[in-house]
Parts: sequence; structure tokens; C-alpha cells
Amino acid sequence: MRELKISPGGVRGVVGSGLTPELTVDFACAFATWCGGEAVAVARDTRRSSEMIRAAVVAGLLSGGCEVIDLGVGSSPLASFAARELGAGGGIAITGSHNDARWNALKFFGPDGLLLNAVAGEELLDVYHAAAYRLAPAEAMLPPAAAPEVEERYLEHLLAALDGEAIRARGFRVAVDFCNGSCAPLAARFLAALRCELVPLNDEPSGEFAHLPAPTAANMRQLATLTRYLGADLGAAVNVDGDRIGFVTAEGRPLSEEYALPLAALNRMERRPGLVVTNHSTSRMVEAVAARYGQQVQRTPVGEGYVVDCGVAEEAVLAGEGSGGVAILPATMTFDALLTLGVVLETLATTGAGLAELVAQLPAFAVRKSELACPPDLVYRCVEAFRDRHAAEAPDTSDGVRVAWPDGWLHVRASNTEPLLRVIAEADTAERADAIHEAALTFARRVAFGHEGG
Amino acid sequence: MPEALSLKIGATGVRGVVGESLTPQVVTAYAAAFGTYCGAGPIVVGTDTRPSGEMLKQAAISGLLSVGCAPVDLGIAPSPVLQHFVRASGAFGGVSVTSGHQPPEWNALRFFGPSGIVLRPNQAAELTDLYHQGAYPRVPAEAIAGVRRDETATARHRETVLRHVNVERIRGRRFKLVADCANGAGSSATRELLEALGCDLVMLNAEPGAEPPAKHLGELAEAVRTGGANLGFAQDPDADRVALVDESGEMLDEGCTVALCVRHGLRRWGGPVVVNVATSRMIDDLAAEAGAEVVRTKVGESHVVEAMLARGAAIGGEENGGVIAAAINPCRDSFVAMALVLEALADEGGTLSDMRATMPVYAVARTVLEFQPREVPPAMRRLQRLYEGNVTSLLDGVTAAWPDRWLQARPSSTQPVVRVSAEADTAAAAEALLHEAAECLQPPR
Repeated sequence: MRELKISPGGVRGVVGSGLTPELTVDFACAFATWCGGEAVAVARDTRRSSEMIRAAVVAGLLSGGCEVIDLGVGSSPLASFAARELGAGGGIAITGSHNDARWNALKFFGPDGLLLNAVAGEELLDVYHAAAYRLAPAEAMLPPAAAPEVEERYLEHLLAALDGEAIRARGFRVAVDFCNGSCAPLAARFLAALRCELVPLNDEPSGEFAHLPAPTAANMRQLATLTRYLGADLGAAVNVDGDRIGFVTAEGRPLSEEYALPLAALNRMERRPGLVVTNHSTSRMVEAVAARYGQQVQRTPVGEGYVVDCGVAEEAVLAGEGSGGVAILPATMTFDALLTLGVVLETLATTGAGLAELVAQLPAFAVRKSELACPPDLVYRCVEAFRDRHAAEAPDTSDGVRVAWPDGWLHVRASNTEPLLRVIAEADTAERADAIHEAALTFARRVAFGHEGG
Repeated sequence: MPEALSLKIGATGVRGVVGESLTPQVVTAYAAAFGTYCGAGPIVVGTDTRPSGEMLKQAAISGLLSVGCAPVDLGIAPSPVLQHFVRASGAFGGVSVTSGHQPPEWNALRFFGPSGIVLRPNQAAELTDLYHQGAYPRVPAEAIAGVRRDETATARHRETVLRHVNVERIRGRRFKLVADCANGAGSSATRELLEALGCDLVMLNAEPGAEPPAKHLGELAEAVRTGGANLGFAQDPDADRVALVDESGEMLDEGCTVALCVRHGLRRWGGPVVVNVATSRMIDDLAAEAGAEVVRTKVGESHVVEAMLARGAAIGGEENGGVIAAAINPCRDSFVAMALVLEALADEGGTLSDMRATMPVYAVARTVLEFQPREVPPAMRRLQRLYEGNVTSLLDGVTAAWPDRWLQARPSSTQPVVRVSAEADTAAAAEALLHEAAECLQPPR
């Protein structure tokens, strides 16, 4: 099978077999057409394949008459910010994000800095499918131009959203694992401005990832050890393109990536109470925090495009997902690991508590997640079967199937980015979470493969 | 020309109109085919000064990276400099994004093999086959190389040229020169080479990327005359060809550049000399003078270079001002041509017009006839019948010779036109011969 996933939010594939320069040129041409040949900000992550993808993107954009604002190696939130700040027609982040090094992807941002939502993404796909691309005359083409001042303005923008004085007064020591991604130089300046001492880990922007990029507890073992031995106030694992974040306590306990959103909620509900948006697969911890401040949580289908879009539309103060992606609204229009780190530091500074104490304020739900590698046709058959299985329990079917009980919930859905079936369960107790999760996995295997083995 | 015909993929590479037919999709795929053809190694890329060059270069880089090649980016680089760098650096091949003298909406990619030599027609055909098959073995992400920038190509090329001419003797003449670079890719390399040769230099139109001046050769002649210069050089925007202006401001026929260099080259290195079938008979006279053999080839750099290498010829070229000195850089190279002209002048001691006066003189008449594509072969057959007893070559079109005149007519490989040139002792005789041939090719309807 060709490992390629084309969806409204972007194009993702295994480089070579799925994601080729020809396909990339086509999508860049489609994007140039979609944004009417206006300027486009382009950032890339540190992967070996990103330079190749960038060359194809630049060629396609120039051919469509776009001026290319070249951010070089830069994070996805920087691309989003640049598109908005420079009044560009859009932005493209070249990054495989949380996927392993074989993968790469294009993330498309609109002029508002938001990832293309379902509607805009469909428009882009229409252009791609029709293959009727805007072609600019040769004499109008300009070479890509760098925009070094954008990074400066982005940093100022992040700092303006925080109580810098409180954070600076504490002089935190922060260990950050950059997974050899694009964020290290920017993070160093960000933390220096907050008078934090940075203990960097895997900060070489080599694209040779020291571990899998997703900020899960399993990928934070090295960071946990470093955080504890060097006496850091907290540890943070930042995704390759700076959109997701995971945390480690001062005692060296890696927290599930589910904690990023409720930890940010502790800050937002205190300082700027309002609506929170998350997806159907995310832990109920965030509801507990919101409820404490009398605020609501709205659920959407899985994907940054859905949650942030809904958050902006509903004037929410926070939007995020259980994957560790958090958008502090309205300061950013995208998941932003650095700003998420900033608000957690702000909470530590203003409350005087340690990270472990903040975690203790959150309800201890048990979460079980697994993924079942499954060809696309079987994935949808499985989702259908779950819909029938739980028909009597009024499931939410806006994104796969989500069933809620008083003491827990189950969410089964097809991955947006890979040929996988994702099964997520959460419950008040570990036993109940195990039971829900195991029963669902067994059922899925039987539907997909006709047997119950793995 | 209708839109459908503006894309040309074939023996000379890929040419087309940007914004119409020469799209990044075509270039990316063709570059992936070329990378597959050359193998996963360094491939040198460069552009001329056209605004669309960057777009096409990025498309080519992406395609090359996807099949495991390691692009070496020279930025703006004239083709002869790029071709020299391919050979000097041991690269697997080269791609030059350049369209010479064509209008600005056109651009093209030329492809060079491992020694920097433009692909031969059979190689180009194999490459086009690969492109049509469309299956390029992509490498996985971990095997993708990086892009390396290189700023040394011009200096390395200059060192090679200087190593092959008598720099001391040229410097001794302290030539006063005007060089018109047509705002092309060769502007700074020309300045650096001529300064290294001790010339007192006035540069015209030496801003790479600025609009090429429309009728700039008048400006050059004027600058030579009023500035009291020894001679002027008119370089084409791609820096593969150069025309000469003598000290009185007279523009020499472009065939003179090749003739002067051939005479000088035969004195230095001996024969044989290789030129294409459309190059002036001056070459035959000069070769006879030197007791050297003349080898004629089809028109096109690849044919001339191939024959030069096969026959061990040191000097050759094409009628349009493209000088090839195989020992220095086996391609059309205006820098080599300028250095050889200066060395010849230094050796002989006189002025350019003195030197021109010692050369055989023919009057030349040229025309280009337009046809419907299917009309070309019968027209060529008519011409062949007309000159039956005098046809000397059918290698590329029809060549016919008489004791006092000479005619060459050949169909273009890229457009439905026939190019005709006639040489004779007088302008009237040349015009009469050209007229006769044109009447035969295009009979009144």
C-alpha cells in the first residue's frame, strides 16, 4: 500500500513511496491557486526530507505567482503567526510533526493563521483534483525572501501573553527535550527572556531523532532522568515542529500527554475563565477543571483544524487535544508548545506550587489508548460495527463512535493521518478502563481479522 | 505558436514557456528521471538570470533529491562554468536552467553528463524514455541527501582558462577593452577573467538580471570607438558565445570569432578541426593553410564535442560564435574564446582589423524560411535535386559547394523552419545563390 493520506488539514505520507516531489508540487500549486497567488510563509522542520519537500513547495508556489516568505527551519506555530502577522495569503509548515522520520507532511494555514478547516480544506482539494492551477507569467517571479524580523515579533507576541514579571522572579530551571526538531533556538530565547535556566536535551537541529517525536510518557524517559538529576523545576518534551508538548515533574515523573490541556486549563480558568474546546478522544480531566470554575467544555471531532476552528468561532479561551496540542486563545491560532510551557510556568510562578502539586489537583482518571494497524477498508468496517454495537447507547458519531457512561467513555475512530484504528477509553478506575478498552479491542480484532489474536 | 507546441522535450533538454507549458510538475519529474539516469551522486545545478530560474531550479532540486542525488547549487552560473565544474568536481551530471537569447517567458533545462558534456542525442533519448516510463526509484527519507551551495565554480573555471593561455604575454599588451555582457550570467566572471589578463576594462550591461538592452551592440561599437579601445566583446546572456567589435567600432560577422580561434588553435595545437556543416568555408581555407583536416558534423554542441573527443581535435566550434577548445573546456565557452582571441592578438602584435584582413573573406547571406512541418521533407528533396552534382554533404540538411560559392540549408530540430546560408566572393553572388535556393524550397503557389 502507498502510505499517503490526503485530508483537508494537509497531506501526509511516507517519503519516497507516498509523498513525492511531484505530489508536493501539485499541492503547492493548488495552494497558490487557492490563495490567489498572494504571499505564502513557508517553514520546515529539521527532517532530512524537509529540504526536498521545501524545494518542491517553493517551485509550486513561485509557479503560481506567490511571493515566498522563507522562514527556513522553523516551527509550525511560527508559520501560522507569520501568515497572520505579515498579512500573507497563507502559510505552509513542512513537517512530519509527531510521526517518525520516514514521514513528512504539509500543514496548510490560512491568512488568519488557522489550519485550513474542513470547508477551506475541501476547496483546496477541489483545486488539486481539478488540477487547474494558477500559472504566473515568468517575469513576475521573485526569489524567496527571508523574514528574520518575524521571529522577533513572534517572541514578543508570546511574551506579551504572559505575566513575565512573575515568571522571571522565580528563576526556574527548565529541562526541555527538543527531539532534534526546529524549536531549540527559539525556545532558548523565549526562556532567556523569562529568566529561566534552560537545560537542553536533543537540541541539535539534525533531524536525526533521538526517540519517537510524540511527547508521550514512553518517549520522555531520558528527559525524566535528566530533570530529576539536574534538579529542574520541570521537564518539557516539545514535538519536532513545536505544536505538542508533554511534561515531567521535578521528581522525574513523566506525565501522560493528556495532562498538557488540563494543566493549561488550570491557568486559563483562573486568569481568563471561558469556554474550553477539545475533541471526543480527550480525557475528562479538563471538564473537571472547567466545572470547578463554572465553565463549559465543548467537544469536536479529532484534529487541530476542528478544535481550534471551533474555539475561535465560539470565542473560547482554550482549545486542545489529548495528544499534547494546546492553543491558548486568542493569543495563538494554532497549537503552540512554547506558549503552553509559558502558561504552565506562569501558574507555577503565581501559585508557588510545584508541578506535582498541580497534577494532584486534577482527578486521577485511568486512560487506555491503543491503535490497531488496519487497512483503510477494514478501518471503516470496524467503525461501522461499533456504531451498530452501541446503537442503543446514543453514541456521538460525528467522528467515529464515542460512547459515554457515568463512570467512563470509549472512543473508536479511524486515524486522520495513518492507516490505523484508534481505541481510547477512560474511566474513574483502572479496572473499569481496562474492561472497556479490552472489550473494544477484542471486538475490533474480530471484526477486522475474524479472530481475536493480535 | 499554439500553446500545445510550446513544450519541447528532446535532444536538447526541456524547453517551454513558463506560466504555460514549462511547469514545475514537468521539471520535477524530468529531474527525477535525470537523477535516475545519472545515479545517486552529486549533480550540479545552476541558472541564468531569468526570473523564472529559481522556480525551475527548486523543482529540479526536489526531483533530484527524491532519487538520492546530492544537488550542488551554484546559484547563477553560466553554462560553460557549470559544465567545467561538473568535470572538475567529479560530479555525476549537471543541469543548467537557461534559455540563452530566447524571449523572457521562455526557459529551458539543459542536461550534462559526468564530464560536463551535453548529453548526446542517444543519451537524451534514453533520458526521455525514462521520463515517459515515469517510474523513478525513490529513496527512503533516511537516504535523502542535502543541498550544498558552492561559490568556487567561477574561480575554478577562471584558473583553468588562465592555465591554458600565455597570461604574461597577454598582460604585456595591456589591452584596452569594452565587454558587453547583455546583463547575463557571465557578467562578473567576464570582469574577473579580463582583469586577471591585465586588461584596462570598460563593462557594459554587466548587471545580471537587469533587462537585456534591446539594441545594445550599437552601444558597444560606440564605446569602443569613442573610448579608443583595442576591441570589444559582445557576450550572449548565457556566456557560451561571443562576437567581436574591432578598434574602429565595426562589428565582425559572428563566424569570425570561431575562425580567429580556429586559426590560432591550429597554430598552437595542430589539427584536425571540427565544425558543424553550417560553419563558414573560411575554416576550410584556414585548415588548408595549416595542413589540417576539417571534420564536419551535424549542428549542435553535442555533435561537435563528440567528434572532437573521438578525433582528438583540440579546436572547433559552431558558426554562431561558439568556440570549443576541448583541452580547456569541452563545450562552447565564451571565456575561452575571449582568452584565445587576446592571445592571438598578443602573438601577432597587430590590431583586430589587421588580423581580420589576413583572414579569407566571404560575403555571407542568411535567411530563415517558415514551413508547415509536413512541407519540410519535400522541400529538402527539391533542393537536393536542384544541386544534384554539387551536393557535398547530406549530414544535416543539404550542403552544396562550387569553386566560388557555397550553400547550406537545414531544417531546425526544434521549429518548422529551414535555415539557409550562402557564401560567395561577393555579396551579390551570395544573395543570388540564397535567392535561388529559397525559390526552390518555397516554390510560388
